[in-house]
Amino acid sequence: MKQRLHPFTALTAAASAAVVTTAAAYWPLSVAVALAAVFLAVRREVAGRVLPAAAVILTPLCLSLLVLHGLFFPEGQTVLAQWGPARVTAEGLGFALELGTRTTACVLAFLLFSFTVSVPDLVSALAGRRVPPQFGFVLASTLTLLPAVSVRLDRIRQAQETRGMVVRRGLVSRLGALRLQMVPLVLALIDDAGSRAQALDARGFGSPGPRTTYREVADPPAQRRFRAAALVFAAAAVAGRIVASWPAGVPS
Amino acid sequence: MTATTRTALQIRVEAFTFHGETTPVLSGAAISATPGSLTAVLGGSGSGKSTLGKLMAGWLQTGHAGQFRGSLELDGTLLEFRGAPDDPRINPAEWSRRVAFVPQDASAMLSSVRATVAEELAFGLENRATPREDMLSAVERTAARTGLSDLLDRDPATLSGGELRRLAVGCAVIAEPDVLILDEPLASLDAAGAAQLEDLVRSLRGSGTGIVLLSQAADRLAREATHWTILDGRTVTAAGAPAQLAGSAELERAGVIGVGGPGVLGPRAIAPSVAIGSSVAAGVRGPGPVPVAAPGPGSASLELRGVGFGYGQDPRRRGAPVLARVLRDVDFAVHPGEIIAVTGPNGAGKSTLLRHFNGLLRPTEGDVRVCGRSIAGVPVGTVAASMGLLFQHPRDQLFERTVLREAAFGLGQLFGKAEAEGKARAALAAVGLSGTEAAHPAELSASQQRLLALATVLAREPAVLALDEPTVGLDRHGLEALQTAVVRAAARGAAVVIVTHDLSYARLNAHRVLELTGGRLSEI
Repeated sequence: MKQRLHPFTALTAAASAAVVTTAAAYWPLSVAVALAAVFLAVRREVAGRVLPAAAVILTPLCLSLLVLHGLFFPEGQTVLAQWGPARVTAEGLGFALELGTRTTACVLAFLLFSFTVSVPDLVSALAGRRVPPQFGFVLASTLTLLPAVSVRLDRIRQAQETRGMVVRRGLVSRLGALRLQMVPLVLALIDDAGSRAQALDARGFGSPGPRTTYREVADPPAQRRFRAAALVFAAAAVAGRIVASWPAGVPS
Repeated sequence: MTATTRTALQIRVEAFTFHGETTPVLSGAAISATPGSLTAVLGGSGSGKSTLGKLMAGWLQTGHAGQFRGSLELDGTLLEFRGAPDDPRINPAEWSRRVAFVPQDASAMLSSVRATVAEELAFGLENRATPREDMLSAVERTAARTGLSDLLDRDPATLSGGELRRLAVGCAVIAEPDVLILDEPLASLDAAGAAQLEDLVRSLRGSGTGIVLLSQAADRLAREATHWTILDGRTVTAAGAPAQLAGSAELERAGVIGVGGPGVLGPRAIAPSVAIGSSVAAGVRGPGPVPVAAPGPGSASLELRGVGFGYGQDPRRRGAPVLARVLRDVDFAVHPGEIIAVTGPNGAGKSTLLRHFNGLLRPTEGDVRVCGRSIAGVPVGTVAASMGLLFQHPRDQLFERTVLREAAFGLGQLFGKAEAEGKARAALAAVGLSGTEAAHPAELSASQQRLLALATVLAREPAVLALDEPTVGLDRHGLEALQTAVVRAAARGAAVVIVTHDLSYARLNAHRVLELTGGRLSEI
């Protein structure tokens, strides 16, 4: 089996990248981080899921940044074009670019983490750090619920199509079909949740007290050192940023 | 711990009523389990078996889930319940160390957040802070006992039905309880899976575990029991030694399915005008199977020509291996009025074959023809006009507010509004659901839900009726209704394909039995 990154190492890397990028506020660095995230996503074969998810989050965000700062940037001096109150200024565009690339880098880094992390490893690592197991369970369920729901919906759709339901193009037909699928889906999910809760109780999940973990997640010393270094680097970047942008007039 | 020092569990139910309901779901019942014994609780669908099992196992929290009057006795400690707020509270985690329960739906037993079988087995031990070395040995021991040793690294989500059931039992027995309660443990298992589970039960009994079996079939496992209790209409109607009760009127009335020796099931009551076999019981191998007139020549209602299929690469996981071919060069035809059974072990691809009939899956080679026309490129919902397909899980198909609306859904387009309700009522009557028209589908018992799903298919009067494991979960009343409906459909000229893992049922109820092995169909 390929040596996996400890979940905390991946999480630290993603978080540090986000912090450093934000602190640096230097768009070429943001672009480099974003490109690195895309490169890693391609290498880990998750680009097909990371990129669409990123697009869903980032497209409206970047568009709104462009509209907001590109057109209405009060501090803008270099006017490139003007329509009434809307002025396209070089400063505004620069600011939008800065903010857009920075957000893109952060979003990509965290998406890469969430699509590559092994959820069981993460839950087990959290349990090892005395995080309440309920937290780990909720986290794991959130990540496993969506695939489970989509499998279930697919089965319901098949069963219903088999009863002669033809879903036509068009919103009304699709919404009608969705309504019919929601009833069995919700009933099944409630039913599942009820019986699973009873089983979890019986297996001691709700009991207070200490726990042990069966799964061992390898945490080599090199990764620990990397995490420490990344955290120090991120802290240094933040400190550097604070010093650099200390209000003028205060002697540094 | 030796068998002689093991505790016995006793339950006495005066009445248990769910919150918000007025009539008790269970009353007048008493069961006990002693070390190494096997006690069978037999009853039809909706008789209250699962409620009894969950009460014994502490899964139904009194006061929380409903009102319980009665008592539970474990290891000499008597807990009395009066349906009052100061009733004793059971800690399910502590109770389950002594009394474990495996629900009918084995997957409900699993935490669903563990990545491997070994971790799932260890889940209960982790929560009890068992040291890791002890967990490792307990997992190894339990896996050997339940036949899971080769599967410890598998993802629980990829297990077959039989493997999943053994995992659920493993999760229950890893804490070495004194009593194990099994709810329908053999449902939907093929012969090999059932045999493994029976062996497991014997070995657990051998080591002193008392077993309580909840079942709607007086099957081979139930016949090994030391004591039978018959539940009917939510109360105990008879209790005693199996020899006394086999063939009794109480067993007959309760709708329990019999297997094997004559007399276990007792006399049958099928409408004589439609009776075709001597027996309708799943698994009964009786004399004189299906003497219905063989269908004449003519064009096939359903025809598969050289159909081949393999699940391709998963598009989301590049680099994943291409899975093995499920179907190879399948040629097969069903004619009007013909009943064909397709059998094969769990995982042979029977459901995959069925999904080709209406285009839910499309063949990689060959052609599927319904009523003489190829269905290539025809939407599933359109093929459904001639092809009625019933899936394994009725819940996935039901979505309406009442039973009648459910059966009538979409009939208006097929037959016109005036006739739709009549057709729906007739279909409900055909499966024995007359009188339940106003009920909500979710209120019906599991057996009745399955029959309702069947009625929704029958009401459309399709030319081909394809049923996926229709016998699973049906009690004897349900089986009789299924039988009647299938024979009637064939009599009006429908071609019927029944997919089942139950070879004896297939032999008894079909004109031809085909077996699917290695992706090929052959007549047996």
